[in-house]
Amino acid sequence: MLYDLIIIGGGPAGITAGIYAARKKLKTLLITKEWGGQITKANEIENWPGTKKISGIDLIKQMSAQLKQYEIEIEENKEVIDLNKKGDSFKIRDNDKEYETKAVIIATGKIPRTLNIPGEEKFKGKGVSFCATCDAPLFKDKTVAVIGGGNAGFNTALDLIKYAKKVYILEFLEEMRGDPILKEKLEQSGKVEFYTNIAVKEIKGKQFVEKLICEDRKTSEDKELEVDGVFIAVGMMAKVDFAEKLVELNQIGEIVIDKDNYTKTPGLFAAGDITDIKYEQIVIAAGEGAKAALAATDYLNKK
Amino acid sequence: MIRVFSTPACPYCVTLKNFLKEHNIQFEDIDVSKDEKALNEMIEKTKQYSVPVIDINGEIIVGFNQDRIKQLLKLT
Repeated sequence: MLYDLIIIGGGPAGITAGIYAARKKLKTLLITKEWGGQITKANEIENWPGTKKISGIDLIKQMSAQLKQYEIEIEENKEVIDLNKKGDSFKIRDNDKEYETKAVIIATGKIPRTLNIPGEEKFKGKGVSFCATCDAPLFKDKTVAVIGGGNAGFNTALDLIKYAKKVYILEFLEEMRGDPILKEKLEQSGKVEFYTNIAVKEIKGKQFVEKLICEDRKTSEDKELEVDGVFIAVGMMAKVDFAEKLVELNQIGEIVIDKDNYTKTPGLFAAGDITDIKYEQIVIAAGEGAKAALAATDYLNKK
Repeated sequence: MIRVFSTPACPYCVTLKNFLKEHNIQFEDIDVSKDEKALNEMIEKTKQYSVPVIDINGEIIVGFNQDRIKQLLKLT
């Protein structure tokens, strides 16, 4: 079976592309590992036009429910592992099946940036977490470290002070970069200690996380910090291995697109945070998804 | 007896519980952010700290592993 369009990604960009494509009566398949992606970590969204306040989980529930009302095929809990050209069309493989399509929209967003230090992978779910919204409640009365002194780190710490007994914020650079107003709230809790010029080198423990090995970048001295948990909040990164052959990537791994969401390969479009657009917001991702679907429609009509 | 260990703001927990509701499966909904005993039980049984955890008549699954859950609940 040859699809008109396959959309990879079930966040705001992918879902909006799906709604537009279905309404244009394109034979469409949407493949997603999970619904929402980054948006599910947002506790309170107050800048989605038309809605005063909504949680990320609720917003994505509404979006996916709306999508499912249209004639569109959906493969959930599936991850795309290969994308290739096949003549004029494309072949896509997920961890289950293979599909063929005339056009593709990549809308896979971004994932948390990792530190790539020993212990980070080993202790995932055993004290290492990338999501305070999800896991903060599990560290009640415990001591935790947050790696990252930007807004991501500060927001993570704000979730943690509700439960943890003590929170260390460890920043690599000379200064904490997070908003002063958040820093104030953290200071007022009395539970937070701030350290700058810290490079975390290793996460250690037996079955669960027990301590961090940190280097003081000014003195080059190594220090041990006893913690029950460590939350990594050093930003987001683009990772789109399956498409690397067919797209141009910028220095930070984002897919380069033109203003109509075309990549360097005709018929292959991209939308949202995975692209090199400057600003990354939910409403922008949705808009980009719509643009990509409309561009794909025009592309298919010309063939 | 089916028991689900979750926290309020965890996206996969929501997906899992919706999945069970859609298939009309009764389950005990345990909020480990409020029930410390249950949290300890969960950590003890799974040797890890992430949610959701589902206990299907003694068989424990960490995370929303749809295929395995369907298998154990004999769903198509």
